[in-house]
Amino acid sequence: MRSLVGPDRPEHILRPLEGIGGTYLLALAGFLAVVALGAYHLVFNQWARGLEVTGLNSSIYWGLYIINFVFLVGVSAGGIIVAALAHILEFKAFRPISRMAEMQAIVWLILATLFIFVSIGSPDRFYYLLLYPRLGSPLIWDVIIIATYLILAMAMGYLGTRADLVRCMAVFPGRRWLFRLLALGYTDISPAALARDRRLLKTLSWVAIPTAVLLHSITAWILGLVKARASWHTSLMAPLFVVSAVVSGVALVAIGVLVARAVWRIEIREEVARGLGTVLAFSIPVLGYFLFAEFLTIAFSGETATFEIVMELVWGRFAPFFWANLILGLLLPLFLLVMPPRLSVGWAFARAAAATAFGAAMLVIWPWAGSDVQMLLPAWFPEWGGVSQPFWILAGLVSLILVLTVVVPSTSVFVRVGTAALLVAGGVFLERTNIVVLPQLHRFLVEFYGPGRYVPTWPEVAVTIGIYAVGGLAFLVLAKLFPLVELELPDERP
Amino acid sequence: MRWGMVIDLDKCTACQSCAVACKTENNVPFATPEQSERGHTIFWMDILTRVWGEYPRTKARFIPRPCMQCDSPPCVQVCPVGATYRRPDGIVAQNYDRCIGCKYCMVACPYGARSFNMGRPEEPETFRNYANPDGRVARRRVGIVEKCTFCFQRVDTAVARARAEGRPIKDGEVRTACAQTCTGGAIAFGDLDDPMSRVARLAESPRAFRLLDELGTKPKVLYLMEG
Repeated sequence: MRSLVGPDRPEHILRPLEGIGGTYLLALAGFLAVVALGAYHLVFNQWARGLEVTGLNSSIYWGLYIINFVFLVGVSAGGIIVAALAHILEFKAFRPISRMAEMQAIVWLILATLFIFVSIGSPDRFYYLLLYPRLGSPLIWDVIIIATYLILAMAMGYLGTRADLVRCMAVFPGRRWLFRLLALGYTDISPAALARDRRLLKTLSWVAIPTAVLLHSITAWILGLVKARASWHTSLMAPLFVVSAVVSGVALVAIGVLVARAVWRIEIREEVARGLGTVLAFSIPVLGYFLFAEFLTIAFSGETATFEIVMELVWGRFAPFFWANLILGLLLPLFLLVMPPRLSVGWAFARAAAATAFGAAMLVIWPWAGSDVQMLLPAWFPEWGGVSQPFWILAGLVSLILVLTVVVPSTSVFVRVGTAALLVAGGVFLERTNIVVLPQLHRFLVEFYGPGRYVPTWPEVAVTIGIYAVGGLAFLVLAKLFPLVELELPDERP
Repeated sequence: MRWGMVIDLDKCTACQSCAVACKTENNVPFATPEQSERGHTIFWMDILTRVWGEYPRTKARFIPRPCMQCDSPPCVQVCPVGATYRRPDGIVAQNYDRCIGCKYCMVACPYGARSFNMGRPEEPETFRNYANPDGRVARRRVGIVEKCTFCFQRVDTAVARARAEGRPIKDGEVRTACAQTCTGGAIAFGDLDDPMSRVARLAESPRAFRLLDELGTKPKVLYLMEG
């Protein structure tokens, strides 16, 4: 146990709560400006003129907003995973970041609902969802589960933070009233009361796990129960969303923790980053496996509607997204996470040379390879920007190995996990984009309607950025209201 | 009573007058060339077109596409506020005062039969002179979904008249705007539950088929295959 006074005072945790500096105000103003920009486009563009200012059209009805909604619901999973590991499995390394993870979960989920709010055509009727709910609709299931999960997460956050808020009343006498308010007036921190908090927290963590699985499954079923879109209508959708949520959620927690470490100099030990990296390294292959299972089923059966979508994904208009997701969003971060951290310079050089030689050889050999080899991968021949696709794929692989062999061994675990987390989060975002957009553009009766087009417009993008800025504001405010790490951790130091 | 429609593709000349008649009957907004270019058009009755080959050796296929009025409508299944619903007489209707514009029904409709009011239509003032004054088809507001309703205003009027006169409604007494205007007489409208009605007899034809029947939506719009 640490004490809050004297030389043991956890300066790094208390410092962010103290006062408001110039940089903080600057950041606040910056986020506010972006929020104002988004709000302007929302109110005076989208609401004044209708959804015609967006890129949506008669072939695509759910665009950038819904992609972000699905993505944000997914990343909110991170909080529950970290909290479950910390509170239920008593994984000590995650105790210091469980609060930040829970805060993120709450903020991401609120942003997700904001995206639903801006995506609908008649926002003045948004409350009809509560007034006239039709319980058969997966969208209403989602409303219910999001509300449940939010309440649960807030309750868990409260129980885990209350004692610290009471302690803060003593540390910051000037803001006593504020911390008392945040603690909802319940200021008993006797050992008995704390033990009760802990017990309740553990019970809620148990409840939260199935709730989180339901949350991501139901969000998947919004799409997965729709038979009108080929490739959505698969029973793998719900498990795929759960795994994607785990991957992107843990990645976002890692990013958030590293940002807090950089911005507020919160002391985060290597063990934490390594732990998050391990969870990521175990869940990425599961995601890859699910994607592979889905693609094999579709490719082997060759069932027209879904097969055309997969072809569009692998070799068609969406190929850049697909390959970027696969190579940069899954393979590269996986290698970053599992590569041994130390390599001699000679080995690194040899690997880089081998990779380059391999890539070059493939490029030279390809045109002369037998047609049966080329037929292994159908539709090999369409080109992107005048250069054949295999070139891009090989170039991607070569650069991947180059990066791995030269850069990785020299960096710290924070940089490696942070980079991997960023790449994974980006990859999952692309995956969500492919899932939401492509089956709408390539619909049934496409032979009559023709393939659709979707390019988000500036007002749409501005509103999206604005909503993320709301999230930034929320984090800034939260950091002033709550200690980001538990003040008293049992046996925190080794 | 189960209203249905049979469209004989052999008699269809692709003149598209059904699409025009539908627009005037139901006050469906027109679109400027720019709006049309951006895909912001609304068609309750659309003509699906497919052309094979290069001029002069071409082959074309035209399918007039109203709402299929499915007996198990996927749009109704997903609507979160019950704004779209199946009436007892089988018509899939849309409550414009309830719709929040979430577009879930559009995503769930495999036929593309639903349209969204993207923005305010740009039309000359004089267009108001041609508007259908019936309040039941008053212009929909921006930000909600609309679709073909089998001209429920005509159906309801005819049914009410028959009831007032104390007699069953006759086959062919109600005609939707598209059926009424069809130059080739390709569109038949009537009660599928009445075995003697024209649509019920045509539905028994060996040429009869339904669009995307394999999805199990049970459309009440049937087509007769080109000979």
